[in-house]
Amino acid sequence: MLEINNQYNHIRAKVQTEVLKQFFGDTLEQDVDKIPFYIIPKERVPARCCIYKERAMIRYRIMAMLGINIEEDDDEMKSLSEYVKEVLEKDTPPVPILTTISTACSACPPDRYLISDACRGCFARPCLANCPKDCISFTNGKAHIDESRCIRCGKCEGVCPFHAVVHIPVPCEQACPVDAVKKNEEGYVEIDYKKCISCGRCATSCPFGAIVERSGLIPVVKMLKSKEHVTAMIAPAIEGQFPGTLSQIKSALLASGFSSVVEVSQGAETTSVHEAAELGQRKEEKLGYMTTSCCPAYMELVDKHIPFLSEKRSSALSPMAYTALWCKEQNKDTKTVFISPCLAKKVEAARMKSVDGVMTFVELASLFLAKGIDVREMEGSDLGDTSLFEDCREFALSSGVASSVLRRVENPEEVAVLSIDGIDKRMFRSMKIWEKRPPEADLVEVMCCEGGCISGPGTVVKPSVAKRLRGGNNATTPVKSMRTPIVRG
Amino acid sequence: MAKREKVAVKICVGTACFVQGGADLLLYDEFLDPIVLANCEIEGVSCLGKCKEAGSKEGAPFVQIGDVVHGDMTEKKFCDLVAEAVHA
Repeated sequence: MLEINNQYNHIRAKVQTEVLKQFFGDTLEQDVDKIPFYIIPKERVPARCCIYKERAMIRYRIMAMLGINIEEDDDEMKSLSEYVKEVLEKDTPPVPILTTISTACSACPPDRYLISDACRGCFARPCLANCPKDCISFTNGKAHIDESRCIRCGKCEGVCPFHAVVHIPVPCEQACPVDAVKKNEEGYVEIDYKKCISCGRCATSCPFGAIVERSGLIPVVKMLKSKEHVTAMIAPAIEGQFPGTLSQIKSALLASGFSSVVEVSQGAETTSVHEAAELGQRKEEKLGYMTTSCCPAYMELVDKHIPFLSEKRSSALSPMAYTALWCKEQNKDTKTVFISPCLAKKVEAARMKSVDGVMTFVELASLFLAKGIDVREMEGSDLGDTSLFEDCREFALSSGVASSVLRRVENPEEVAVLSIDGIDKRMFRSMKIWEKRPPEADLVEVMCCEGGCISGPGTVVKPSVAKRLRGGNNATTPVKSMRTPIVRG
Repeated sequence: MAKREKVAVKICVGTACFVQGGADLLLYDEFLDPIVLANCEIEGVSCLGKCKEAGSKEGAPFVQIGDVVHGDMTEKKFCDLVAEAVHA
């Protein structure tokens, strides 16, 4: 995964903020075609081949933000203004949630291992001795890899004392746990949506920004503008994403046009209670292990790739689902918007009637910027009585779901827990063998993103920063909260 | 040698700076040279107002070192400027 702090993300935030500013200023349809020129002025030193290509990319970026399927609906004769007009008239759920921009794709060369100039042609030659395919030879005193025989096992890379072997991956292919991202015959990226589990790893790994998420932001801001009653359902991971406490974040949301704010930790509590009861029952009936069911990318993984796990996962609904149902019970006319770091949640939401919109933290950040809202300057709002579900804010962290469930089980010491902290290619393979060799645990917690939702594709800050700003009033004094006490050994 | 005053460093933690890379600067403990770190007083500060200035060439995130406000702050730039101020 790329570092969050990078030029692509900065430009994306700029584009998003500008589009939102124009949307709220009622000039979007009229001026949207000027945004590429505003973002990429002619004085700019381009990071792609030229500013014209960069502007073309901004156009695609805006299309993705409008929720358009670029692969299928890219009509170069059509202006952005025409797209905006269509999108403002009619909402369509952005599924599949990812789309590719082949013009942005650099058609990276296939995954390979190369011997660099650092090779000293040493006497021990561990690369030669450890290559299982015998594809390393020495010419002119330097190692050489025979591409046609190399199986990309990486053994030579690990054994070279000079780090002379370089692995050059194809970032998107490498990131995809289920091999849904592949290069086509021309070498450009393509996603097989029958296999894709919408985890978003490819989108956050491509250094060219060729894989983008189709945003559901426009339907949400339309609701905000129309003055309907809109409920913001904030995922537990939101704490630490902005420079302010949960109650300040609530105020900021109210200031940006939401009518009420509900913590999804509340629904997480219901999920925990349900899973705790189900776990007890399964144990009594000796049905073996049970997995959690709150991670939507994992749900997709089971449905598309590991069907035998469908009876192993808990029947509990996700925290988002319970929260949305509760909101609709309180006020049947409210529109519910789920705000989270997750892309796969959009797929789950599209299947549900009770969730009317989804946005990511990154999109929320742009909304705050567009409206000139400073979370830190907000007077805190009352969060109400949170004592019942406060501990479920841990759902955002790896192993937090399991501990929330354990606190609601009768005999927690008798429950063996296994935490799956991130699903990559290797973990996917391990999970497939569970059919024959079940994991030695009663409760298996599955998180598709390493570290949990705080590492999700729609986060604003690094997990290491977010973690330190979570809890209590840490976020009110961000700089102080980050200070590590000096440990003397 | 007289004890020198610590250099005042103020990292903007307004929303605009924070979400545009400023949050990463909060990891200063990890990347700043310990000697430099010991000679400065780092604080968080609310919006310095620079981002709202029309026609400003520099963008978020902003950091004030001594009396000067610097924009487009990166980890590297931050280390260099703070070290420079400390050793001045």
